[in-house]
Amino acid sequence: MADILDILDIEQPGASEITRESIIHGDKAKKKYVTTKAVRRPEGMHREVFALLYNDNKDLPPLLPTDTGKAYKQTKAKLGMRKVRKWVWAPFTNPARKDNAVFHHWKRAADEAKEYPFAQFNKQVSIPSYSESEYNQYLKSEDWSQAESDHLMDLCQRFDLRFIVIHDRWDRAAFRDRSVEDLKERYYNICAILSKVKTNPWSNTVTMVNGEKRVYHYDAEHERKRKEQLKRLFERTQEQIDEEQMLLAELKKIEARKRERERKTQDLQKLISRADSGNGITNSQASIVNDGPNTPTSAVSNIARRHDRKLHKKKLTTQQRPIRTVETVTVEWSGIKFPEARGTGVWLRSQRMKLPPGVGQRKTKAIEQELRLMNIDIAPTPTEAICKHFNELRSDLALALDLKNALASYEFELQALRHQYEALNPGKTLNIPASICNSNADGEAKPVGEIIDVVGSPSALNTTI
Amino acid sequence: MSLPTDFGPDSGGRIKGLVIVKPIVYGNVARYFGKKREEDGHTHQWSVYVKPYSNEDMSAYIKKIHFKLHESYVNPNRIVTKPPYELTETGWGEFEIVIKIYFHDPNERPVTLYHILKLFQSPVSEGNSPIGRALVSESYEEIVFQEPTQLMQHLLSNVKPVTNGQWAHDTNFEDKKDKTLERIVSAQAKVRNEISELKQKLQLAKETITKFKEEIAKVQNNPSQSVLSAV
Repeated sequence: MADILDILDIEQPGASEITRESIIHGDKAKKKYVTTKAVRRPEGMHREVFALLYNDNKDLPPLLPTDTGKAYKQTKAKLGMRKVRKWVWAPFTNPARKDNAVFHHWKRAADEAKEYPFAQFNKQVSIPSYSESEYNQYLKSEDWSQAESDHLMDLCQRFDLRFIVIHDRWDRAAFRDRSVEDLKERYYNICAILSKVKTNPWSNTVTMVNGEKRVYHYDAEHERKRKEQLKRLFERTQEQIDEEQMLLAELKKIEARKRERERKTQDLQKLISRADSGNGITNSQASIVNDGPNTPTSAVSNIARRHDRKLHKKKLTTQQRPIRTVETVTVEWSGIKFPEARGTGVWLRSQRMKLPPGVGQRKTKAIEQELRLMNIDIAPTPTEAICKHFNELRSDLALALDLKNALASYEFELQALRHQYEALNPGKTLNIPASICNSNADGEAKPVGEIIDVVGSPSALNTTI
Repeated sequence: MSLPTDFGPDSGGRIKGLVIVKPIVYGNVARYFGKKREEDGHTHQWSVYVKPYSNEDMSAYIKKIHFKLHESYVNPNRIVTKPPYELTETGWGEFEIVIKIYFHDPNERPVTLYHILKLFQSPVSEGNSPIGRALVSESYEEIVFQEPTQLMQHLLSNVKPVTNGQWAHDTNFEDKKDKTLERIVSAQAKVRNEISELKQKLQLAKETITKFKEEIAKVQNNPSQSVLSAV
């Protein structure tokens, strides 16, 4: 219909002129879904089945799979037969030009009255001016003659403060060569002085803040240094760059090693203090069993075990790591920390015996295994006393497991050291004390004296051929 | 039971420092029919229950007990409001029963127990238990009322005995408690010995490592000497 009307040049009453909006969004607004009143799903019919029979349009479901194409709806341009906007070949003048030259271009008929839109981009810089008396009064300089200053201001005006260009066009015949910084310094200096003296504001050099004049201050010295620095950076040789990279990499390595060393020291420290404090607390708290003397802490070599850190990740997060405090021993609870009695309310005694969530699966399994070996129910009858002792027992078991692990790694280290020694000193060897070696096999108590003696006597460590 | 009404405006307030413990026993008894029942395949009759450990009427402070059975039962959520807090059913399989105990004071949150219904003796080889003899699977538990509300404290401390006769349980919990405690304490002693032993070993290992290092350092510092001595 529309095209016939168009051909016959009959004005279509409803046809509005197209706009950008109408092209993209089409006539969506007009289209309204005819929503039939919802058909209720019969009782007992599955939703999926119902959805197959009835969809929003109440159409029959398609027999063939339909390709919906892209996942998101694309905005499609709706190009219909509608009136186009007219373009005209029109003359125009550019207000930015001073010569009133007339050119022609295509423009929309609707925009005919408007000014040439690109004229607004012709920005003018306002350059301050001064009279001779003003110059003599305020602007005199030892370094700059008036003629030179005039030349500078003239160039600034002509080249819109493009100082690189100004520097290029500088009259080197009449005046001595000056750097870009020199030119800028002089120019901004003049601007500053004039803005203080005169009242007419130079738009680009003076801004009014709280009614106070703010003058742009040009720091020539800083600029010179900055350029010098950039120049040096630019002029580095490949060898110099390589050397710098190498040094940076070295620094990183050194720092990493340092961190590693510190961490190891702390881990070892932690293990020792845990072992000691665990002993201390059990003695004071339980008063049922009194087990041996507290092991005194001695100076620590900075060897530590990695896996131990893993096992006690939770502990580590809760307390601050001491930094390189090798000698001090912080007293802390070891093994498992069970939550304290809660505030108010009702609870079941057996809840107290749950292992806290921080205890890992592997550890839980290991503890349960130990309990089975000792013929203890893993969920014993929950009375107050049993709860308390059961929790203490499991905590001790956890500590014992940790200590065993630590001992195993020490043993490994001793073996490694022995091999190292043997390699360095062929034919000789070092003796590892027997009690450490078969830590797995012998769980039975050994006389303390014997163990101490092995280490204490120098012969044990002496090399034998 | 008379509910006093003069608790005043702060009747919801809790009594500081007071802890009341109510031991209970929960579990089930089961009885084998002797054969599989024709109509539904059930093999056992069982009862799940919550009893006071000592001779007292728990209805003084318990409002109701909710037993949640396996979903295959008709109406699996069973609520018992009066003692005996017990539920009898028939079935053929074992499953976990969730037992939730509600108290008269709504300020006290309900507590939840889990019990695995037991129909069969543990060693399967033994076969089904003889007809008529019941299988008992019960556990001891303590409900701890920490700083109860005034109302609750009143209810908890005014309980009447259930029966004038003997109040006994199928399981001898006193004996079990003593034995368990004894075993745990002796295990504790053992583990602590082990720990102090391990600590000594660790100490020794540490010292030995230091000495080894010294030896190695010695060798490294004057290799010529060691070569000579080796020769």
